[in-house]
Amino acid sequence: MFRIRMHGRGGQGIKTASQILGSAAFNSGFQAQDFPLYSAERRGAPIVAFTRISEDAILERGPIVVPDLLLIGDETLLESPQAAPLCGSDESTVIFINSEKKPEELQKHYSLSKLPLQWNLTELCIQYLNHGMLLSTALAATGARLIGTISLQALLKAVESELGAQGIPKKALEKNHELAQTIFLDLPSTTFPARQPADLQANSLIVMEQKGIRDASPLIFATGNMALRKTGDWRIQRPEIDYSHCNKCLICYARCPDGAIRVNADDHPEIDYDHCKGCMICAQECPGHFINTVREAGAES
Amino acid sequence: MTAFVNPYKKIKDLHPKEAISPGTGLCAGCGGLEGLRLAMKELGENVLICNAAGCFTLLSVYPFTPLKSSWLYTTMGAPVPAAQGVRDALDIRMAHKGLSNDENLLVMAVAGDGSSNDIGLGATSAALHRKLDFIYFCYDNEAYGNTGFQLSAASPLGSATQTAPTTKVHPAGAESFKQDLFEIWKAQEPTYIATVSPREPVDLSNKFAKAKTLQGPRMFICMSPCPTGWGYDPKESNLIAKLAVDTGIFPIKEYFEGKVVHTKPPKKRLPVEQFLERQKRFRHLFEPERRDDIIALIQQHVDEYWRRYE
Ligand SMILES: Cc1ncc(C[n+]2csc(CCOP(=O)(O)OP(=O)(O)O)c2C)c(N)n1
Ligand code: SF4
Ligand code: SF4
Ligand code: SF4
Repeated sequence: MFRIRMHGRGGQGIKTASQILGSAAFNSGFQAQDFPLYSAERRGAPIVAFTRISEDAILERGPIVVPDLLLIGDETLLESPQAAPLCGSDESTVIFINSEKKPEELQKHYSLSKLPLQWNLTELCIQYLNHGMLLSTALAATGARLIGTISLQALLKAVESELGAQGIPKKALEKNHELAQTIFLDLPSTTFPARQPADLQANSLIVMEQKGIRDASPLIFATGNMALRKTGDWRIQRPEIDYSHCNKCLICYARCPDGAIRVNADDHPEIDYDHCKGCMICAQECPGHFINTVREAGAES
Repeated sequence: MTAFVNPYKKIKDLHPKEAISPGTGLCAGCGGLEGLRLAMKELGENVLICNAAGCFTLLSVYPFTPLKSSWLYTTMGAPVPAAQGVRDALDIRMAHKGLSNDENLLVMAVAGDGSSNDIGLGATSAALHRKLDFIYFCYDNEAYGNTGFQLSAASPLGSATQTAPTTKVHPAGAESFKQDLFEIWKAQEPTYIATVSPREPVDLSNKFAKAKTLQGPRMFICMSPCPTGWGYDPKESNLIAKLAVDTGIFPIKEYFEGKVVHTKPPKKRLPVEQFLERQKRFRHLFEPERRDDIIALIQQHVDEYWRRYE
């Protein structure tokens, strides 16, 4: 059995990527299973999706703990303790990262134990789909290519059935096909180190003990403490104010849903990057276009 | 007639203090959060929010809260009964139990359009009948957002939702016009009703400033563009909110002392399709074929509304 785990953020098409890959494997004659896992949080928050592919019936259920292939769509997740995309990977896991950085640079930057595979999917997505973070097709095509036993035809058919089911226009479907084909044909292949099959072990039962009401009832002792949670790592794009032109009209400040823009001592707007979710409303709304949009992983911090 | 002078003229005048901290799990670009943020700036910290189950459940996730004020989580149908209970408890304690008047709180119900138009409406009607002293904030994202965007009575005709998608038999998606909650509330003559939009922060802030000076039921409907459910890039939230106003689809108005006044009437109304065509939930009106019949129906409905006022 082949276990693939994909990481990205809500809105990037990670769940669809796992579905396309599952269908592509199925179209190539395998059995497949795919499903996403996300919390109550929304667009921008980390999500995980899984695909299992096997020649025989798949009896395994639940999240993939030790993946054979890790597909990381959004490299900012590597710095998120909440997402922890490398969790459970071992020396046999092949790690793929969507990035403009070279593998050596990625390894150094994120202190990876081994060299990852890398390809700039975002650039391709911009080229074909006009949007750098619609990763469903790109990530699925990457997976199909790396696994090596899925045919291009099976992949294209899966793109059509999965995106078709979401009702995307014909033109966009054609572009997705071209994108899938480009990645499938251009991406170098890889080999997967053999993995010792682990013995199946059942965990011992955890007995839930009943707690007294004082222990069990929630109490919050500080107001406004949500700020302790840093939503800054949701960002795919970063707004950067061009202070040489900003005229302090404060429209950006008024329009930020999250209140992540403060007014500083000399009445300039100042972005709180710990919390800015990167919705880019401020950049869109600045009347003079004095807020620049920068791809997050490449932004200077 | 009570004279009320609007305290705000421009964006720079807005209340500088934030009453909601960042860090919530709501979607990037959530229009409803923007509306609530601006409202809370005005209402301040001495508020007790009774929050109906919905997207705004995510405001407070134990052990974190973004609010400087108190928050009581209620079932989808019961934010207003909760508000009644809290109001009564505060009143009784102030009158008989020595609670200082300084500790009084403004009681506020916060609910989505599903809760407001559907399961919660009966209880709201009862509270309006009793003239409950509270503020009601309905963030209207025109569907059941929290559970994946299902049809509510506030979903507009022609929009696709999870439970009313476009099909051969039902090409429009939602086939009923959006329920007119403003008019339903108005029939019971509450103290104040206003529609607000995050696109018009000054108008919004002035209305909350005014509501703060009043007593009895003060009702708000906040147009809440929803990138996730409506299907557009989050950065366009304000553009979508602007088009809703400029096309006349979302009238910005208030009801006070028996009269309805449009506080931000569109100067020259744009065709409705300029609002529709930017959102995935209306895409079936343009592709694979243009549905001029359905678009015309929506336009006609908007025209009929404004004919009463223009
Ligand atoms: C009686 C009842 N039915 C169903 C639910 C599940 N539920 C939780 S939130 C929600 C959606 C609420 O929609 P709305 O009031 O429009 O708020 P939104 O989610 O859009 O913010 C639903 C259906 C519930 N909590 N209670
Ligand atoms: S991108 Fe701009 S508007 Fe959006 S959260 Fe960040 S600062 Fe606020
Ligand atoms: S909207 Fe633009 S000009 Fe106005 S304060 Fe913000 S950055 Fe400056
Ligand atoms: S689904 Fe819509 S209303 Fe709900 S949090 Fe997301 S943007 Fe806001």
